[in-house]
Amino acid sequence: MRSLFRSISRRPRDRAAFEQLFHRFREVLAGNNRALEIITDMGDTLGGDYLFDIQYVNRSYADLRAAMKDSLNMFDELTESRYSNLIDIFTTIDVRIRRVIDDTETVPETLVAFYEDATGDAAGSIGNKNSNLAEIKNVLKLRVPYAFAITFAGFDAFMRYNRIFEKIVPPAHGSSDSDSARREVHELVLHGTMPPELSRAMHASVKKMKEQCGMACTLAVRSSGGEEDGAFSFAGQFESILNVPLEATAVEKAYQQVIASLFSDKAAVYQAQLGYDLRTMKMSVGCMAMVDAAVSGVLYTVEPQGDPGVMSISASWGLGTSIVEGQVDADLFRVKRSVQGEILDSKLGAKATMVFSHDHGDVLSIATPEAKRARLCLSPEQVGELYRQAVLIESHFKLPQDIEWAIDTIGKVFILQARPLRLTRHEPPDAEIAKSRINVNILADHLGKTVQQGVAAGTVFLLKNERDLDSIPRGAILVARHDSSNFIRVMTKVSAIITDTGTPMSHMAALCREFRIPTVVNAGNATALLTQGQEITLQVDGEGATLFEGMDRELMERAKDRASTMENVFEYRRKKYLLRYIAPLNLVDPLRDEFTTQACKTLHDILRFIHEKSVAELIERAQNGVKGGAVKLDLSIPADIMVIDIGGGLRNDPGTGHVTPEQVASRPFQAIIRGMIRPGIWQSDAVALNVNDFMSSMLRMPDITSAGDDHVETNMAVISKEYANVSLKFGYHFIVLDCFCGEIARNNHIYFRFAGGATDMTKRSRRLQVIAEILNKYGFNIKTKGDFITARLANISQEESDEVLDQIGRLFSYTRQLDALLNDDTAVERYVKKFMDGQYT
Amino acid sequence: MNNHRIMVIDDEKIVGDMAKLSLEQEGYQVETFLNAEPALKRMQEEKFDVVVTDYKMKGIDGMEVLRTVKDRYPATQVIMITAFANLDAAIEALRRDVHDFFPKPVKIKELKASIKRALDKVA
Repeated sequence: MRSLFRSISRRPRDRAAFEQLFHRFREVLAGNNRALEIITDMGDTLGGDYLFDIQYVNRSYADLRAAMKDSLNMFDELTESRYSNLIDIFTTIDVRIRRVIDDTETVPETLVAFYEDATGDAAGSIGNKNSNLAEIKNVLKLRVPYAFAITFAGFDAFMRYNRIFEKIVPPAHGSSDSDSARREVHELVLHGTMPPELSRAMHASVKKMKEQCGMACTLAVRSSGGEEDGAFSFAGQFESILNVPLEATAVEKAYQQVIASLFSDKAAVYQAQLGYDLRTMKMSVGCMAMVDAAVSGVLYTVEPQGDPGVMSISASWGLGTSIVEGQVDADLFRVKRSVQGEILDSKLGAKATMVFSHDHGDVLSIATPEAKRARLCLSPEQVGELYRQAVLIESHFKLPQDIEWAIDTIGKVFILQARPLRLTRHEPPDAEIAKSRINVNILADHLGKTVQQGVAAGTVFLLKNERDLDSIPRGAILVARHDSSNFIRVMTKVSAIITDTGTPMSHMAALCREFRIPTVVNAGNATALLTQGQEITLQVDGEGATLFEGMDRELMERAKDRASTMENVFEYRRKKYLLRYIAPLNLVDPLRDEFTTQACKTLHDILRFIHEKSVAELIERAQNGVKGGAVKLDLSIPADIMVIDIGGGLRNDPGTGHVTPEQVASRPFQAIIRGMIRPGIWQSDAVALNVNDFMSSMLRMPDITSAGDDHVETNMAVISKEYANVSLKFGYHFIVLDCFCGEIARNNHIYFRFAGGATDMTKRSRRLQVIAEILNKYGFNIKTKGDFITARLANISQEESDEVLDQIGRLFSYTRQLDALLNDDTAVERYVKKFMDGQYT
Repeated sequence: MNNHRIMVIDDEKIVGDMAKLSLEQEGYQVETFLNAEPALKRMQEEKFDVVVTDYKMKGIDGMEVLRTVKDRYPATQVIMITAFANLDAAIEALRRDVHDFFPKPVKIKELKASIKRALDKVA
């Protein structure tokens, strides 16, 4: 008990000092409020419903930055610089935001970074794919192949050194680069020369890689796209070179092939669709040790279609390239998320081919031996392990994940990629239209596996050969034997896609979800069922596709509207991206341990941290004792409370050293007193003691806590008009209540601590349970440890806090003798119910 | 789909791009320009029902666009948008028969509603 007070005890302050502290606290709140209002406004304005210009962004951010700085400075004074690294964290985020606003080039810093070194700012220069993997390795400590990344700065160095954009014809004013210019860039990159500094860095990295992984190691060289916001997947759009020999020249060549693919025909369609400008595109590249994969595949932490409580894993022998390209009928495992990875069902896939690293570079696809085709390629234990790792990854990134993994020949699991999983949006209005209008001839029902739900109408285009892709008419329904990420070339033209084979986990599937094109794969015989030019309407729901004969024009128009969203405007997306550094809140639970400065990733996080720690500071200082000007509050109950008014907390103080409850002007303190002295509670003496005797015994300070610290001996309240910090010592237990209840709800908090008791631990913990359950019903966030409870409630209106504080006042009285009565566990529920029913006796 | 033609002039590409995308969703045919000179030239070739123009631009500014459009094509409606809530400019624009005057950021819904009203006027 003593240690509780010791831990929060520092030298006492006089009232003037506390008043000043309180003034700073209010300044912090004011700065926070201004900042939050700007954040809200920016969120609204950049949300896609407004036309805005760069001036708006500049002006808003300048205001936000000023408000943040005010808050930070005031907070630094308030906390006597104990969180000074928060200013550094703010500066880091600020630099990132200003880079987005000013469109400044990446600062030429590190050209190559190993994953283990890719923390902080470095993580921002290696693209999403690389930085996610680096986080999985460094933070989650999961196994990721040894790898280094060539950064955006490396990319810039290459483009600058080869003067790529100087060599092509500049576009006419106001227009974009032509296809021929893009192709020229592609060739220039492919045949360009490595800048000496980049080449040196690559040589050094390859050498380090050899030391770590051995001479026999080969690399997978893969893109990690430049668009930092991750709003678009780019699934399968760029080149990946597998099994690259670990020699600097080979790695350099592969690097050039990969970055050249940024300007390929295939990627161009996707980029044009998203409003990209040739000159602003960037790419980081990951060079990762190849895993000697026995099995590999793709895991979705949530089924994109159907049951959100189910995780799905597709697996095939060898390397996973055939799964992501949708070319192999893989084994499919469905895992229940709630029951520690219990396998719901497993489906044996045909797994006709398997891909392996070839001895001399490149990869080899071979027919899967019969024995391997006939059995599932994952054991239940392996499924369980993948499940466990996937849950970790998902909870770290806070979004459903699409994870590529591999298991090597000695059974080690490797994570090869993790990115947010695109979930299908349901579109019931269209579906209903389809049902009501198209009740004619049904051509097929429950056809295939759903990739993207939706409704479409159009003429069938049977694709016999991928070369024919370019001749697909606008609005057609693409029907093909296999799925292919090359379909991206026509995704802006087609209204739906149906394939005979394929899996909902392929790159094409990811792209279809991204572009929200109604799609089913693995439809079996769609190419045989449908004829070229046939007019159909299809409705895709969780159960596959239903095909109707004939088409509905209105549905076709709707499909066209859906295709274009504001996200397709490059500049818009880029500006909106800065919100990612501003608005999301990662620090959710202040009672949890990770509520640290390091956990602040956004400006909103910083504001939240500042608020919580300012409150904590206030509580600590108030508990520490405020000297001078205390008056005794005369209550109708035998409880002595010394009151210190730090501004507007008392009215008409007669100067006699005594005040009555009527003179209390502090809104929160009024509510607490109201609850405490509520008739019936103090008399609610279930142990049938004489009330006065009982009360005085309860309010007497036991020796154990008073030793040596005179200013914690009495019950005390530090109050202002909108603030109260009350510390009560009832017998052997302690209560601290700190509340700020102003007009702006988001400033407000109620913080409650309760500790101790005279009875044995079991009874004391039962009393804590009663308190916790009651507070829980009022929406408090609660943490208990031993006989200590911490609870907080924030963002509440004055009216709500009046009500809650009144209840807490009652709770003070109600629970003080309760531990003695809680003889068994059933009593807990009984006494909670009594309190909630207002039955205090 | 309808055949109404809308022109958007703003020296910031993002404004034109966003306006084009949202107005095309309404079925309008939209052309965007980063400055007024080529925009006015284009008007000599094609009739536009509504011109949405930024107020402050380098070279020919929004007021000049309004003046020219009203001189040459009185039926064409002009909507002016500006980053600055500039009362004097608003008054002058109103005198010159501007259809609407919006401070930026402009709520797209309101712009669409304003265009609809402008087209009703034309019809």
